[in-house]
Amino acid sequence: MLNRRRFLTHSCGLGVAAATASTTALTLGLTRSVAASTTDGYKALVCILLAGGNDSYNMLLPYDHDQYDEYEKIRSDLALDYGSLLPLSKLSSEGRSYALHSGMEAVRQIYEAGDLAFVANVGTMIEPVDAKSIRAKTAKLPIGLFSHSDQIAQWQSAISYHRSSSYGWGGRMADLLDPNPATGLSMNISLAGTNLFQTGAKVSPFTITNRGDGANTVWSFPEFRSNGINLHDVIRDLLGVEEENMLRREYSRRLKGAMDNRDKFVNAIRSTPEFVTEFSDNNFSTTLKQIARVIGARRVLGQGRQTFFVQYGGWDHHFNVVGYQESMLPILSNGLGEFRSALQELGEFDNVVTFTISDFGRTLTSNGQGSDHGWGGHHLVMGSAVNGGSMYGTYPELSGSSPLDVGRGIYIPTTSVEQYFAELALWLGVAPSDLDEVLPAVRNFYSPESRDAPLGFLV
Amino acid sequence: MLTARIRSIRQKLSGFNSKLVLPLKFMCVGGVLFTGIAISGIGDGDGDIDPGIDPGETVSDYELNEASRFASQSTFGLRYEEIEKIANKRRYLWLEEQFNIPPTLHKPIAEDLITRQAAGEWDEFVRNPLKLRTVIHRFAWWQQTMTAEDVVRQRVAYSLSQFFVVSDRAIVLRLTPYSLTSFYDLLLENAFGNFRDLLKGVALSPAMGHYLSHANNRKANPARNRFPDENFAREVMQLFSIGLYELNIDGTLKLDANGEPIPTYDNDDIREMAKIFTGLTYAGEGHYWGRRYFDHTDAEVFSLPMIMYENRHEPGEKVLIDGTVVPAGQPGMDDVEAAIDVLFNHPNVGPFFCKQLIQRLVTSNPSPEYVERVARAFNGETGSPRGDMKAVLRAIFFDPEAEIGTWSQTFGRLKEPVVRMVSLARIFNYTSDSGEYYNTGYWLELFAKQHPLASPSVFNFYQPDYSPVGEILDNNMVAPEFQITTSTTVIGITNYIGLAIFNENQLFHTFRPHFEVPRIDLSEYEELATEPDDLIKRLDIVLTQGQLSQATKNIVKDVLDNVDDVKERTQIAIYLILISPDSAVED
Repeated sequence: MLNRRRFLTHSCGLGVAAATASTTALTLGLTRSVAASTTDGYKALVCILLAGGNDSYNMLLPYDHDQYDEYEKIRSDLALDYGSLLPLSKLSSEGRSYALHSGMEAVRQIYEAGDLAFVANVGTMIEPVDAKSIRAKTAKLPIGLFSHSDQIAQWQSAISYHRSSSYGWGGRMADLLDPNPATGLSMNISLAGTNLFQTGAKVSPFTITNRGDGANTVWSFPEFRSNGINLHDVIRDLLGVEEENMLRREYSRRLKGAMDNRDKFVNAIRSTPEFVTEFSDNNFSTTLKQIARVIGARRVLGQGRQTFFVQYGGWDHHFNVVGYQESMLPILSNGLGEFRSALQELGEFDNVVTFTISDFGRTLTSNGQGSDHGWGGHHLVMGSAVNGGSMYGTYPELSGSSPLDVGRGIYIPTTSVEQYFAELALWLGVAPSDLDEVLPAVRNFYSPESRDAPLGFLV
Repeated sequence: MLTARIRSIRQKLSGFNSKLVLPLKFMCVGGVLFTGIAISGIGDGDGDIDPGIDPGETVSDYELNEASRFASQSTFGLRYEEIEKIANKRRYLWLEEQFNIPPTLHKPIAEDLITRQAAGEWDEFVRNPLKLRTVIHRFAWWQQTMTAEDVVRQRVAYSLSQFFVVSDRAIVLRLTPYSLTSFYDLLLENAFGNFRDLLKGVALSPAMGHYLSHANNRKANPARNRFPDENFAREVMQLFSIGLYELNIDGTLKLDANGEPIPTYDNDDIREMAKIFTGLTYAGEGHYWGRRYFDHTDAEVFSLPMIMYENRHEPGEKVLIDGTVVPAGQPGMDDVEAAIDVLFNHPNVGPFFCKQLIQRLVTSNPSPEYVERVARAFNGETGSPRGDMKAVLRAIFFDPEAEIGTWSQTFGRLKEPVVRMVSLARIFNYTSDSGEYYNTGYWLELFAKQHPLASPSVFNFYQPDYSPVGEILDNNMVAPEFQITTSTTVIGITNYIGLAIFNENQLFHTFRPHFEVPRIDLSEYEELATEPDDLIKRLDIVLTQGQLSQATKNIVKDVLDNVDDVKERTQIAIYLILISPDSAVED
């Protein structure tokens, strides 16, 4: 296995040679499909964090009359009008029909085109639990359930049984797949600053912005030039000083790393041609546009695997959830549509899978103004690699006496984040035998030796 | 003076464990380092403290550096002459003076600007009046932070604003300048008061009521599937008072028999607490239940504490975290008082709150002993009432661990961008003829992703336990400010510092020509710049508290030797030292 690991590390981005060797590795008795275990070709995951806890029961709703009636009864003043909903043409495997929020026409179209799937009622868990064991306080539950800081961390770390995780599952993937990139540039690129998801023991995210070419250089000033001083050289000298203090050393490393990476990054991103696709003029869309530009430059960057991290915040709608979602869900939906179109222009839509995470779902019941912190929530996954036009996981049957309800219309997740993430990690190229390292609790929900896909939306 | 300083340390230590032997690293007047000297080994032994100024005595570099470090911990930066005054006076006396200066409030600035705007003073804003309206609270913040005399209060209030977090990212708060200026004034007014008043003030603050949505929070109506909002109830426990786990007095976790941390509350406790915070709504003339639209010129609605509508308040019994039963049927405000009492008296508050305040002001990794000493001051063990902020601040600033003699490889904190930039403006004399220091904060947010009262969420800009991967994590240390120090911002702030120094008027971003843009004034440093060594030495005192490494000095000196123009020499020296790790980190 060690050999394989080393091999994966080195093969990344090496094209044909890697493909050949990888196939050899497969014939040596590794069980996953080619798609899941080769690192030839290019693949990227784009993680969209809907920070604050999206009220996804108002994003993806039951459309059958009996279930809509239950929905309306439970949500009371938060219920959306039946007539406003955008129905989805395909039924779930249980024969149920569902609909989208009226502001998500773009997502509806991508779904109908088969390039987008929903994963229903996903949440953090340590083991499968039921409402009874929770009430009896015998169930093993994630630490800090319903709390923003814990849950937003657990969706990124995939560790919900302790609080001391400094690494995310995207970081752990990079530790395995590309810990020492030849270019020196991390395969994890963040559009949202420091984040847990992309932080590994060896790999930290390279942070860019959605402005300009994403990375700034240290500006020189005429006062240096006119005196014949090369400021960058001086700064490198300053950062080369052996500092005695730990914090000073860390600061030196950060500034030096940023300066070193900036030039190669900017040169690369400038090579991406202008898009025909027009992106909306909002932060979310311009962020996705910047990611598309980086993906367009992936050959110049020499990166065979990438992850991107986007944060679209402001979903903690204790207040005016209906009104805020009316303005925010269209931004999400249209942004995804534009991103897909730009990736299609680049010919990379086959190679990129975009997915959402969020702190938690929210209470189905109202607090009179909005909804409070819940647990399971619905998510979407986009890409032409996705077996789209379908729902994965199980959308709960809504009822005032649902066995999943632990109070206030908080539903126990029916799919764990481990199952959701395992599918994504395997697709990106994590070997089944390495899945434990990326998702330490995966075996509570899925056996990496299994020949079945964790959920089936990708592999 | 050196012996006087040591006397003052001993005096302070006498209240603590006498066995305390610190890994001290004293720097003597000549700059030679001694290490590992126990406290009792130095000094003339009489233990007296001179009450006031030593007339005619010049202060040593050591004392200047000590005063400078204290200024850097307790204020937004002081100019050299002010540092000299502190060095002359004794820090503890200077701090007591600061305690007695009445608060310089932010709301009056907002009042002035709103009134003048309403009177049509700035015609050009008429087309887009929001342009000004949404930054009035920031103008007030910069104006007062730049000019107020109560410099310690302003800095402490800012630290409190990172513990009790509200943010102008909530659009209603951004559009109502009185909401955030009043909230900040609450922090200013109680910064030297009592923690219980802070906690209660925050709980009833209309800005917080909006931000964490307990304003207009109704009692349950189970028939209609409606239950009290849990938002504030959760965060008042998790963030504003007791935290998630039971703590020892030194801030370390208490563990159960299985070695696991012990949660302070569960979701049932949150639901009980949520019932307490029902029935509150905005005050002011013509108040009504459910109000959610506001006229930004209405000062009352966001200045007065929220009021209780009894018929909206959950009437039944509530059982709080420690089993305290809040009886059914009493007035809603009595419920609130009872809940505040329960939280305020919880043994976690001292270590939980004090450790974070130490992190904001002094060091990211205080020793458990340091936390314990400050927590005991919070708990009333130094003769002040429980929750007394002055006792807490004295304990923080005059702890042996905070003092310059105790430098260690892991001591200190990365200065947050707000502090780095404001202190640059204050130390290097950013001035305006009109006396206006109005700043939209645009540059600061653009370059460094931070601005006062603009946190992305109630969890502040960084988590108190954030630990960067690598050496710091490997040593089980934390460095919260590195959470916002990315490849983007670390270059951003370097450039912003350059703009502020070389472009001379680019630290402030304001609406020209309506308001004057302050400019840097380096004349006091240009006088020194004829001798680069003098300039570097002075900068070492004001910017790095005597901790500028010899290697950094040499690099700066080499550069300055190539620059003839005195002004350019001054600018370059300041810039290079400010962007160096020596100055980015206060250690």
